Amino acid sequence: MTNIGDTTSAGVARPEPTRRRLVGWGAAGASLAFGGAIFGSPLWRVAIAQAKPYKIGSVHSLTGPGAPVGKTALIGVQMAVDRINNAGGINGRKIELVVEDDETKPDVGRRKVEKLLVEDQIDAQVGGEISSICLACMPVYDDHQVVNMIGVCLDTTITTSKCNRYSFRPYDYAPAQAVAFAPYLVGKLGKKWHIIYADYAWGQSTRDAYAEQIKKNGGDVVGGTGIPIGTADMTPFLSKISGEFDGLFGIFFGADGVTLGNQAFDLGLTKKYKWAGDGAMCESTNLPGLGHKIDGFTGINRYVPVMDAPLDTPYHKAFFEEAVARLKKMDPSGPLPDRYVQSNYEAVNALKLGIEKSGFQGRDDTPKLIAALEGLEMKEGPDFPQGDKTLRKEDHQAFVREFIYEVKDGGYHIKDVVPKEKTIVPPACTFSA
Amino acid sequence: MSRRRFFVYWVGFAVIVALLAVAPLVLPEFWRRFLTEILIWGLLAMSSDILIGYTGMVSFGHSAFFGLGMYGAAAALLGSSPPNLWLALLYGLASAAAVAAFVAYFSTRLRDIYFAITTLIFSQIFYVVIFTSTAWTGGENGLNFSRPRFAIPYLFSLRFTPAVLHWFVLAIVALSYLLLRRITHSPFGMVLQSIRENEARTRAIGYAVERYKIVAVMLSGVFAGLAGVLYALQNQFAAPDFVFFVVSGEVVIYNVVGGIGTLVGPVVGAAFFLLLREAFSRFFTEFYLIPLGVIFIAIVIFMPRGLLGFARRWLNG
Repeated sequence: MTNIGDTTSAGVARPEPTRRRLVGWGAAGASLAFGGAIFGSPLWRVAIAQAKPYKIGSVHSLTGPGAPVGKTALIGVQMAVDRINNAGGINGRKIELVVEDDETKPDVGRRKVEKLLVEDQIDAQVGGEISSICLACMPVYDDHQVVNMIGVCLDTTITTSKCNRYSFRPYDYAPAQAVAFAPYLVGKLGKKWHIIYADYAWGQSTRDAYAEQIKKNGGDVVGGTGIPIGTADMTPFLSKISGEFDGLFGIFFGADGVTLGNQAFDLGLTKKYKWAGDGAMCESTNLPGLGHKIDGFTGINRYVPVMDAPLDTPYHKAFFEEAVARLKKMDPSGPLPDRYVQSNYEAVNALKLGIEKSGFQGRDDTPKLIAALEGLEMKEGPDFPQGDKTLRKEDHQAFVREFIYEVKDGGYHIKDVVPKEKTIVPPACTFSA
Repeated sequence: MSRRRFFVYWVGFAVIVALLAVAPLVLPEFWRRFLTEILIWGLLAMSSDILIGYTGMVSFGHSAFFGLGMYGAAAALLGSSPPNLWLALLYGLASAAAVAAFVAYFSTRLRDIYFAITTLIFSQIFYVVIFTSTAWTGGENGLNFSRPRFAIPYLFSLRFTPAVLHWFVLAIVALSYLLLRRITHSPFGMVLQSIRENEARTRAIGYAVERYKIVAVMLSGVFAGLAGVLYALQNQFAAPDFVFFVVSGEVVIYNVVGGIGTLVGPVVGAAFFLLLREAFSRFFTEFYLIPLGVIFIAIVIFMPRGLLGFARRWLNG
């Protein structure tokens, strides 16, 4: 080590230290040390972080067959982000939303997620509608160790066999709905059921969940009819349904729900049997297409756009009115908000709550954010107008209150409210190490 | 090929392969991964050129070969512990070859639009089977699996880092190109081109046209399956969406945009189309398909031989 005043290896003589020079060096050293201590300290990191907004990615199906759901879901995200930003942000930092379109294709979805994580350097993601895309993208969040708040994806395996430490589902899933609905189905509507389901992964897994719970509650499932999705004429399938049973249970969504509702009515099935099903069958966006033919249908959903108790709260009214106004801008026919708007709105607010609780500043704090989200209790209020909910630690699955309703005169009428505690299903997830 | 052209061709080939090999060392992470994906889609497009460009048979069934290659690899990777790369290749190629043989047997008796429609219907049948057989294929959700190691027993075992995977894909795509080029320049390839030009005359001079067409479909299907295996290795999932006929449609677009009957053209078309789609989607989010469609129409009208044909004509003055 060379000392001051020594000759360097290049042979150039260094000046002798004077008192003034030593004081100068000392001052400079002290400044550097002080600066280093300040700039390198966690306090400074927090200050730098606070200067920039949180970058939240949001991947939706904005084109392709998933576009109707994706566009609706994005409205929920934007509503929450605007509300948070108008209130000053989270911990004083605003949210910058980066939206990407997955084209309803898993390969594009995966590429967009890579782009958000690598190029945009997002802090977390909120979104996702199509289960196959959610499942294809979940390992990417795992690789980059970034929190993924799923907005709509329904498939059961997301929080069971394919669960992932970085992915959270802050809304319900079919097994919980089956637990909530089966006592009502068997106790009030009938013991013997025939299930008509969309013949693919979601329809099949939902069918299994309901069949199990109906049997557990003393009922029976005497038959099942699987119909391929997108079938325009379901009558060849429906006309074969006959026999001695009390109720017909439908598991479809979107346009298929409308087709089934109309054609089952035309064949007289909905008069002959009790008529019930998954809430996806007659979301508010489906009601105009179903008209009076869906009257008498009993369904279950985490969200119904009505102002009846217990949803007659000022915060639900505020959420409802803003959602209606935004949906009208997208679709002039003025659809009512559905569970896709609600769950995306609340997913952003769940993330906000986790960030506040954990003091999350950026990706380095992801473990702290995960710890805060695991077991998160969300209280009914402006952030969560749907009601209280718990995000379970063991599988990152939320449990929420459920609404059992009947459709009458083209509108929903709440028949029963099942508290979140009565929807619990044992966890079936093992996170990889 | 003259001596000069021969020299220029091989120097050009070496330079392009060298540039593609160096790319992962200099490109940012996202673009590195994207380039590997472009090579895979390029291989799929190249495989379909055997039918579209060389034999004159427009296939809308390539999604089935691609998807079955992917699901074959998925079955091998999920069924072996630890996941084995060579088994994935074997299963993927065998699945694609079996499906291609099945499709070829029925569809090659038909010509033109009837052949195209038959291949489309077959691909949709496979799509529906995969989509609804949830217990075997994961149904709509597809299958997720781990990536194997790049290993040759007793010699080496490497983890597939993004760069290693890129070089592996590049090597396979380059070798596939050389092999397909050799085939298309062989007497067999000449017969395929003869079928494209005049099927009746080819039959009249004594060639068993149906047999040649069956081999062409199988050859094309096997290379499409190889692209499926590579896609599965890169993305670690297989989904029924890849068997859907829309993928076949995109492959036809890559051919038309790049230039059919050139092998390289479809790769260029895939690169151009994917890069343009990525760029436009960043500016127009959900409306990017509109400018993309306009550009596609412009290429079809003003560059009927595709980008490669246009470049050749421009270079030749």
